[in-house]
Amino acid sequence: MRLVLDRPRCEGHGLCEEAAPSLMHLDDDGELVLDVPEVADADTAVAQAAVRVCPVAALRLS
Amino acid sequence: MTTPATDDLDLFADELLVDPYPAYARLRELGDVVHLPTNDVYALTGYDAIRSALGDWETYSSAGAIGFNPMVNEALTGTSLSSDPPVHTQLRATLSENLSPRALRGLKDTIETKADALVADLVERGSFEAIDELARELPLEVVADLIGFTGHVRANMLRWGQAAMQVIGPLNQRTAESFPIAGELYGWCSTVTAVELAPGSVGRGIFDAEVRGEIPPGSAGHIIHQYLGAGIDTTIAALGNVIALFAAHPDQLAAVRSDPALVPAAFNEALRFWAPVHAWGRRTTREVTIDGAVVPEGAQVAILFGAGNRDPRHYDRPDEFLVERNPVDHLSFGYGPHGCAGQGLARLEVHAVIASLAKRVSRLSVGDAVRVPSNITRSIEELPVLEVVPA
Repeated sequence: MRLVLDRPRCEGHGLCEEAAPSLMHLDDDGELVLDVPEVADADTAVAQAAVRVCPVAALRLS
Repeated sequence: MTTPATDDLDLFADELLVDPYPAYARLRELGDVVHLPTNDVYALTGYDAIRSALGDWETYSSAGAIGFNPMVNEALTGTSLSSDPPVHTQLRATLSENLSPRALRGLKDTIETKADALVADLVERGSFEAIDELARELPLEVVADLIGFTGHVRANMLRWGQAAMQVIGPLNQRTAESFPIAGELYGWCSTVTAVELAPGSVGRGIFDAEVRGEIPPGSAGHIIHQYLGAGIDTTIAALGNVIALFAAHPDQLAAVRSDPALVPAAFNEALRFWAPVHAWGRRTTREVTIDGAVVPEGAQVAILFGAGNRDPRHYDRPDEFLVERNPVDHLSFGYGPHGCAGQGLARLEVHAVIASLAKRVSRLSVGDAVRVPSNITRSIEELPVLEVVPA
């Protein structure tokens, strides 16, 4: 599974980072960085949680 | 496939607006979608149905559909609230440019300092009126400073903000009485110029961006209008609710006191438990089947955030206020492309108040909360705090 970010839609609310700090973080400019875009099976649940909490639906798994 | 269940209640009746939760439960038991002929709407009541609709702008259009009367929908034409992608995408980017969490990072310390000073003073006094002196005071000050309002505009912010939400309702007496006041706000936003806003403010910056051609001509006033129309009444409602809920559930305040990491969870749970926004509109662009029931194309939809937030199929023991459940996926900010653009600012303000209350208060003793029916925003009008037991 791969995390896909709709960057124009992302506003940096940061809820995904709280849900999946091992996979992504907001950088010093408040821009989201996907540290681990290719999600291992073991991390699928965490990645799904991050996708689910995005308030503007900017993140998805494909 | 069947037609949706029908109910004869009026979504905007006084007693329902004051306490909508019994009606929400009844409608939810009738189905995820219920036809309400009195209001000529299809009400979405279940968590999954609401979340799906909010994420699906192609089926549930916002264009000319978020309000429950044609006049307000006409007035909101051309705003991000009332448009669909691709037009919406550009309008939303312009609106959130100065409102996204990354834009607001510099305000965090200022807001926390303001909130803590306010709470410290009230705790020191020992008794106060929580709505005027706290729930209204902080958002009015924060938004006024953000936009750079001064003088008579600042004095009008509360009534303008209330009226802007009220007129989203159907053409009842509340809406009729509020239109002239909402018109004052609209008129001011249409004519305001950069020099009327404080130098260095976000509001001034938006006008400067218009002058530089970075945003379309005439859009600065629209953006200011949305900040004021959407950012005041709702935040006040959320803050008032937080104070009332902590007073009614001292064990939940104690939980946050013992673990300040629960501050965001407490806000999420307060938003889930009492949604600040009662109903919001969409229009179906095609025939759509919801939980086996067919809603026709072109139907006006009423999204009942508070009904979805109490759906027992999604939240265990939904009628209990439990901060530790941290319901990050509550529906009160909406969701998806139209998810609340000001939620980052709301979080800064309300988290600051919760953190300060948790630090300074061990118990609040309150008198009866006064609620006044209001078409869209459900908030407390008066909440006397009779005694503060300091931390």
